[in-house]
Amino acid sequence: MQLQKVFRKQQGWQYSIFAIVGFFFAIIAGFFYKGNPDVAWGTHVTADGTLFKWIFTYMFAPLQATMFALLAFFVASASYRAFRIRNFEATLLLVAGIIIMIGRVPLGSNISSWFILYLLVLIGGITINSVFKNKQYTAIFVSVGIIVITSAGSSLGWPLDQPGIFYLPYLQEWIYKYPNVAGARAIMMGIGMGIFATSIRYILGIEKSYIGE
Amino acid sequence: MTDLILKMGTVDRRWIFLVIALVVIVPLFFPLGLPIRATATTQHVYDTIDALPHGSKVLVSCEYGPSTKPEIHPMVLSVMRHLFKNEHKVYVTCLWPDGQFLASDALNLVGRDEYGLTYGEDYVLLGFRPGNEAVVKGIVSNLRKLYTIDAKGTKITEIPMMDGVNRFEDFDFLFSASAGYPGTIEWVQYAADPTNVPMSTGTTSIQVNEVMPYVSSGQVQGILAGMPGAAEYEALIGVPGIGTSGMDAQSVAHLVIVLFIVLGNIGYFIERQRSKKY
Repeated sequence: MQLQKVFRKQQGWQYSIFAIVGFFFAIIAGFFYKGNPDVAWGTHVTADGTLFKWIFTYMFAPLQATMFALLAFFVASASYRAFRIRNFEATLLLVAGIIIMIGRVPLGSNISSWFILYLLVLIGGITINSVFKNKQYTAIFVSVGIIVITSAGSSLGWPLDQPGIFYLPYLQEWIYKYPNVAGARAIMMGIGMGIFATSIRYILGIEKSYIGE
Repeated sequence: MTDLILKMGTVDRRWIFLVIALVVIVPLFFPLGLPIRATATTQHVYDTIDALPHGSKVLVSCEYGPSTKPEIHPMVLSVMRHLFKNEHKVYVTCLWPDGQFLASDALNLVGRDEYGLTYGEDYVLLGFRPGNEAVVKGIVSNLRKLYTIDAKGTKITEIPMMDGVNRFEDFDFLFSASAGYPGTIEWVQYAADPTNVPMSTGTTSIQVNEVMPYVSSGQVQGILAGMPGAAEYEALIGVPGIGTSGMDAQSVAHLVIVLFIVLGNIGYFIERQRSKKY
């Protein structure tokens, strides 16, 4: 197919040359030229000093790593453009995603749960303002919230991971261990039952799509 | 201010790529040194491996490739360091073909160069065999039928540490370093659970969701979740490596992505309010 592309000078035929050269290069390294005469055929694939190992270390590995690394950029761009809070489920997904993204890394374990509490008071104030459109209510809510949190924090000595329910690493572990496991188990059971049902249908001859009927 | 936020919503995505590139590269050159605290699941893996009796036979299975090397390879290196420090015997298999290359590199770096151990007496690379879960089942029933020679072409019968190792139950512990299929789940379903041989695992962050039910049910003793898990394990064994050095970059990158999402949604709400007004 690649040779056809080159001979017929179809669109992108120059890239096909790389594909063909790479194919023959790998064949030569695998079957005809070891590079290290002290190594037996077969084990030359992973032995040090062989051409095949060189291809893996200096060509295949960097290329595969680069392709995978591109994902980071596209994830960031797609998240920025497409991740919108359009309904309750999307909001829940976004909040859970943020908790896990920040809670999973060292940065999250260094964010005090008191900071999260202050953030929640601020978000609560914004919500109250948008619902009631009353600046007095907003001011009271935010002031009382700040005073309560500051008093509680001062009396407890501002522990980093207490109250635990607002400490991101604990929260993300809870999300992994309970809602995530519940959903994953439900999906696994559904898949298992689906496999069972489909297999029974095949065995009893009810499902005939695999033979073209 | 609102116009600025709305304008940012239509920014060319190459600016986003540039910001992400900078937030990843800069912390690699100027580390923040954020302290790393082990999570309960990582601590469970550490405690399980630390509690193994002296001289245990440990099977380490490497099913990952260059694309997932930054996440999985650091945890494989750390686990091997932990195992060799406690003088266990390490047997390495691979369910992925790429895994054999990376496992060989890890064994050479840790076993041969760092600990000065002897191949065939302290560690052995059995290598890759095709067949996915059939390989797992083969190891469970008769390892010597599946592996007649190791990755270096030496007959199994001529390797001293293979004495008494005929099937999976002859191992004391399994660690699966897995990036997908076949991997951890196949080891749990066909090997560890039927034979009650304890196992732990290290997986990519994206795979943790799939494996977590097995961790919760006790079939897998803890899990090292992605590069953060690798960094936590490096902190527990006291040997910082690639995992630790990548954590600053990952932390900042995650924060920036979250900020992007929040900014995008602020712009979305402003636009929605404006369209409601008019």
